[in-house]
Amino acid sequence: MRELNATVLENIEIAPMVYSLTFGLDEEIAIRPGQFCMIGVHGYSLKRPIAVCKTEGERVTVCFRVKGGGTRALAGNYRLKEKIPVLLPLGNGFSVPEEARRIAVVGGGVGIFPLISAIRAYTGTHEVYAYMGFRSKADICLEYEMRRAELILATDDGSAGFHGNAVQAFMKDVDGLQPDIVLSCGPLPMLRALKNSMRGRDIPVFVSLEERMGCGIGACLVCVCDREDGSRARVCRDGPVFDINEINF
Amino acid sequence: MTDLHVTICGVELKNPVIPASGTFGFGREFDEIYDISCLGAVATKGLTLEPRLGNPVPRIAESNAVILNAVGLQNPGVEHFIEHDLAWLRVKTRVVANVAGRTVEEYGAMCARLDGLVDFIELNISCPNVRAGGMALGVKPENVKEVTHVAKCALKKTPLIVKLSPNAESIAANARAAEEGGADCVSLVNTFTGMAVDIERRRPVLANNTGGVSGAGIRPIALRMVYEAKRAVSIPVIGMGGITCAEDAVAFMMAGASAVQVGTQNFTDALACPKIIEGLDRWCSSHGVERVSDLVGTLQMN
Repeated sequence: MRELNATVLENIEIAPMVYSLTFGLDEEIAIRPGQFCMIGVHGYSLKRPIAVCKTEGERVTVCFRVKGGGTRALAGNYRLKEKIPVLLPLGNGFSVPEEARRIAVVGGGVGIFPLISAIRAYTGTHEVYAYMGFRSKADICLEYEMRRAELILATDDGSAGFHGNAVQAFMKDVDGLQPDIVLSCGPLPMLRALKNSMRGRDIPVFVSLEERMGCGIGACLVCVCDREDGSRARVCRDGPVFDINEINF
Repeated sequence: MTDLHVTICGVELKNPVIPASGTFGFGREFDEIYDISCLGAVATKGLTLEPRLGNPVPRIAESNAVILNAVGLQNPGVEHFIEHDLAWLRVKTRVVANVAGRTVEEYGAMCARLDGLVDFIELNISCPNVRAGGMALGVKPENVKEVTHVAKCALKKTPLIVKLSPNAESIAANARAAEEGGADCVSLVNTFTGMAVDIERRRPVLANNTGGVSGAGIRPIALRMVYEAKRAVSIPVIGMGGITCAEDAVAFMMAGASAVQVGTQNFTDALACPKIIEGLDRWCSSHGVERVSDLVGTLQMN
């Protein structure tokens, strides 16, 4: 974990209200797939937790949807060469057991971005099938990154690929596909549906969660989620990746 | 090099900078970013007798120059802290154990348990309390005095800090009440009660509806309150409320704070505390101040 001053290299809209921000660090820092960073926005007290989508040497790319004032400022006010405070790498990230051969990733909305880091990490060594859901054809982005895997697109309105969400597309294939492990990220209703649908199948499912955060490193206990055993886990530190059966949504 | 040492209640700190309770856990996470032995002390996450799960999420919101939190005292309980974190933390630096309770008696029990084990005990009297009919003990001077007295009676070795709530009838009266109850020091301010609203959902952002407001936006009010409290008592005062940099810390010390706590800024910049320590050294050097403690209470009113 390092608190650094990064340099903005690129900040572009890649889909309606979705931005891809690439920043450069002074040195290469090892970031595991599924880890995230906290990004400082001038004029805001809290950093924004955003999943790392891609790393190439000292270059790190994160993608985010403009939702509130902080992300609007992040999208609008940061141009080439500007300095931006970042705290990284954070969280546990995905881990895939060595014996696993076939990985299915199931993502929806901005949940596809941490999964792209997994696709990039595992396509060289594993068979990766990506079920990626968007609202509409116009929202599809980073298709060339997703195509590193065997890609099955889904749209809510049926304008491209499977008509429905990513979980529905995945559940149609799961018994034929027989993945050794499933990695997922997306809105809570999607994760809930995935948990229900996968119940009874002997396939481990790991999900990356999102929550409002304070410190991002596990100290402030702001971003907790409920575990099935009644305890609470810190999304930033104990996660953001959890075994789906561990979490009470 | 400025002499950054300060002495509070006979306990020497290597510098006056203390991360505030609730923003720093027990120090382990921040210690992965920098060696926290550079800090004057660490104020722990608020501790209770039994473990607590805290409030539902969202627990945090943001507004202009401030944040709101409603964590709800989630903590693993005082025994877990003593067993797992205390020895480690004491090797690093001075320990301010922040304690809370549902009843006055729980405060007494917490103090008895921690007496002699930590460098300071800091009473959090901003949480709702049974004795005050669900209101915080920190609102009325009679309640402040009573809980301070009960806590002090349970302590033989460790100095007692009472952390004053700004949600009070009179900060000066409450500071005096703490002193009369036997406090060795007061710290202030805790967070202001506030609300953030999501107008699209017509609901408060925080699951708890209200939360504690902290951050740079409260600094002028906190400074005024620190000044008023210092004038009201003869015990030392620890100042906090929106400190973001060394210059802010200097202002609090001039207003009467013997040391300062830094909270929200730890989220804005994980290196906030070490930067403030370095900045204090620089500021004092460039202003001919040999000892940082020489700044305390030097504010000259117009």
